[in-house]
Amino acid sequence: MLSRAASSLFWMARYLERAESQARLLDVSLTMALIDVPEDRVEQLSVPLLVSGTREMFFEYYNEITPQNLIDFLVLDDRHPASVYTMIRSARDNALHVRGNLSADVWESINQAWFEMKELRQRGVSESNASTVFDWVRERSHMFRGAAYGTLLRNDAFHFLRLGTFLERADTTARVLDIRYVMAMKAMEEHPTQSFFEWTAVLHSLAAFEAYQNTYGHNLDPMNVAELLILEPDVPRSLRGCLQEIASLLEEIESDTARRSRRLASSLYANIRYGDREYIAERGLHEYLVDFLERIQGIAGQIRNDFMGWKQ
Amino acid sequence: MLIQTPDQGLFDELFDQDNKVRPHCRMLEQWLINSDETLIAEKRREADVLFQRLGITFNVYGEDQGADRLIPFDLIPRVISASDWHKLQSGLRQRVQALNRFLFDIYHDYDIVKAGVISAEQVFANPQYQPGMQALKLPRNLYCHIAGIDLIRNNDGDFYVLEDNLRCPSGVSYMLENRRMMMRLFPELFAHSPVAPVEHYPNLLGETLRAASLNPNPTVVVLTPGRFNSAYFEHAFLARQMGVELVEGADLFVHQNKVYMKTTVGPQQVDVIYRRIDDDFLDPLAGNPDSMLGVPGLYSAYRTGNVVLTNAMGTGVGDDKSIYPYVPDMIRFYLDEEPILKNVPTWQCRKKKDLQYVLDHLPELVVKEAQGAGGYGMLIGPKASKKELATFRDLLKARPQDYIAQPTLSLSTCPTFVDEGIAPRHLDLRPFVLSGKKIQMVPGGLTRVALKKGSLVVNSSQGGGTKDTWVLEDDLC
Repeated sequence: MLSRAASSLFWMARYLERAESQARLLDVSLTMALIDVPEDRVEQLSVPLLVSGTREMFFEYYNEITPQNLIDFLVLDDRHPASVYTMIRSARDNALHVRGNLSADVWESINQAWFEMKELRQRGVSESNASTVFDWVRERSHMFRGAAYGTLLRNDAFHFLRLGTFLERADTTARVLDIRYVMAMKAMEEHPTQSFFEWTAVLHSLAAFEAYQNTYGHNLDPMNVAELLILEPDVPRSLRGCLQEIASLLEEIESDTARRSRRLASSLYANIRYGDREYIAERGLHEYLVDFLERIQGIAGQIRNDFMGWKQ
Repeated sequence: MLIQTPDQGLFDELFDQDNKVRPHCRMLEQWLINSDETLIAEKRREADVLFQRLGITFNVYGEDQGADRLIPFDLIPRVISASDWHKLQSGLRQRVQALNRFLFDIYHDYDIVKAGVISAEQVFANPQYQPGMQALKLPRNLYCHIAGIDLIRNNDGDFYVLEDNLRCPSGVSYMLENRRMMMRLFPELFAHSPVAPVEHYPNLLGETLRAASLNPNPTVVVLTPGRFNSAYFEHAFLARQMGVELVEGADLFVHQNKVYMKTTVGPQQVDVIYRRIDDDFLDPLAGNPDSMLGVPGLYSAYRTGNVVLTNAMGTGVGDDKSIYPYVPDMIRFYLDEEPILKNVPTWQCRKKKDLQYVLDHLPELVVKEAQGAGGYGMLIGPKASKKELATFRDLLKARPQDYIAQPTLSLSTCPTFVDEGIAPRHLDLRPFVLSGKKIQMVPGGLTRVALKKGSLVVNSSQGGGTKDTWVLEDDLC
């Protein structure tokens, strides 16, 4: 397939995945800000800014972190690439580029998302209806995924699209875990009664609350949370789950020149697959995640070079 | 619902001159009478929602809000009888065949010029003429693989060719989507009438494009200027329907006079390019050096015969409005046949006598730029203000060779849903003619309709709408 099309499919899926993650994160952070002690509210509200790396940019436009400012900035603002609005717009731009590679169902799901997003933005989103909007983003993302799974030919177009999803997801899980884990540990020391909420926030942000209950029961233990979100292969947003997909997708893509991407991905996957919680504890969770993020970005860069890097 | 009857002296597609419904339209009339306003209003909203969801939109140049605009779609189909279509079809075949012969001739032996039928100046000094195409051998001697011929029906009931679009005619996706929409909204209508299918057009187009190459299994691509082009939707639509890649200039490169596309598994050679980019922008090395849309070296690859362009470079001479008056002569000259379809009488302002006539009768005439398209830069005499008339007088005197003039023909009307209810509105028709191993077309075309009362401007860029076009398989219903 065309390299440009591969790139557009990859980014289309990444943007949609990112929009979904952002909606989850915002939803959890806004709720946590209500539950938390007043002095920690801003810290709660900062989480989505930290995860998306936009805290500095935020203060170029706004003076203080309030729920409404956060919503305006991370949902509706069209001046930067990190709002749900611009993500959906970029996803739709990329979809337009590859309409020829998409089924009608997939195209329509994205196109429709864009028109609804424009309407939402016109109507405005406030703290009181924000959750409805987050639900809508998640539904739209599910619909896109469903249309893709249900109607796309299992060819390279599909593989590149899924690569985008899982790379984005691995990246998000590592960032969210890195930031929220620290907050939860701190809460365990300072406000032991609050810490239950902190741990559920970690899990809800990554859609893994039910998975945790199934695996470990109600007892919220930091190492269990880390183990679940890093090492558990059956959790959809775990690092191991994502890496397994990335490695096997790269194997499926038709190419003679993909050896480097494959090596990087398989090696990182092997690290996680044969890793254990003791190793993570020894290494330190933060250091482990920073290393992981670097390597996942390395894989994304190598994919770009192997399949999309035309220097003519 | 009540159907407003047409104005006297005009040809109406539904009613005859005694306001009786034409036999082949009775079923349509029954449907209109039995439909109530709320149902129709509901269906119209449904159509809008569907068109938007499908992304069937177009961009209007020079309009900030123009992106993603919907072309108004009218729910009342325009019905063409089988006998009318048969005549149209043979006329279109004949015309496109002659035009292809003409294009071959003006790049090879110049017989028509030598015979004195068309002046050398009009051919060789034509801005669309590409000297570089001279003596080039093209597969099957075909220049125009895809033609869109604009026709109107005059008040005498006959079809007249308004213009031949031989470069990158667009609109065929609307023909297909309009049909799909109608079948979805009104399945019962189709159950009761023998409407000839058009859905196989992409198959015929694919066949035509493959036949443009002598390679038995060529790689075909659609080349688009990109998503900001007004017809981007159509480019993507056709590529997807044919199962070929939709490429932009940056996706292609030329190496040793061969064209390749940049794929995830390396370079892949391209044999046929269905290009939707004008000649001048195809290759910055040969045409406009500032073009970012084209492919450096494409022209050279084309001349070497390693790639086929559809339509060929230089076909624009054939659809120039100053060449148009000669098409009936071409038919006589190349095919030794009498033209089946009529031309609109045309004054060529380059001729002194014609210019004088045009200047004297300006308020009665339509004046068009010989090179114009999209309804831009034209004068409709009877509707023009004194100031506009004066402006055009000056333009005509300054550059007479740039203009032609025609009588204001009364385009036929067809009942259309408008704010006032169901009222007659003017329309035209653009069938698409494909030339490959043989000349093929699907029964139908794009019907464009002027939505304002009395207006003759049907262009979508000027606010016109479209309708489904029904060719009936027999005249009895």
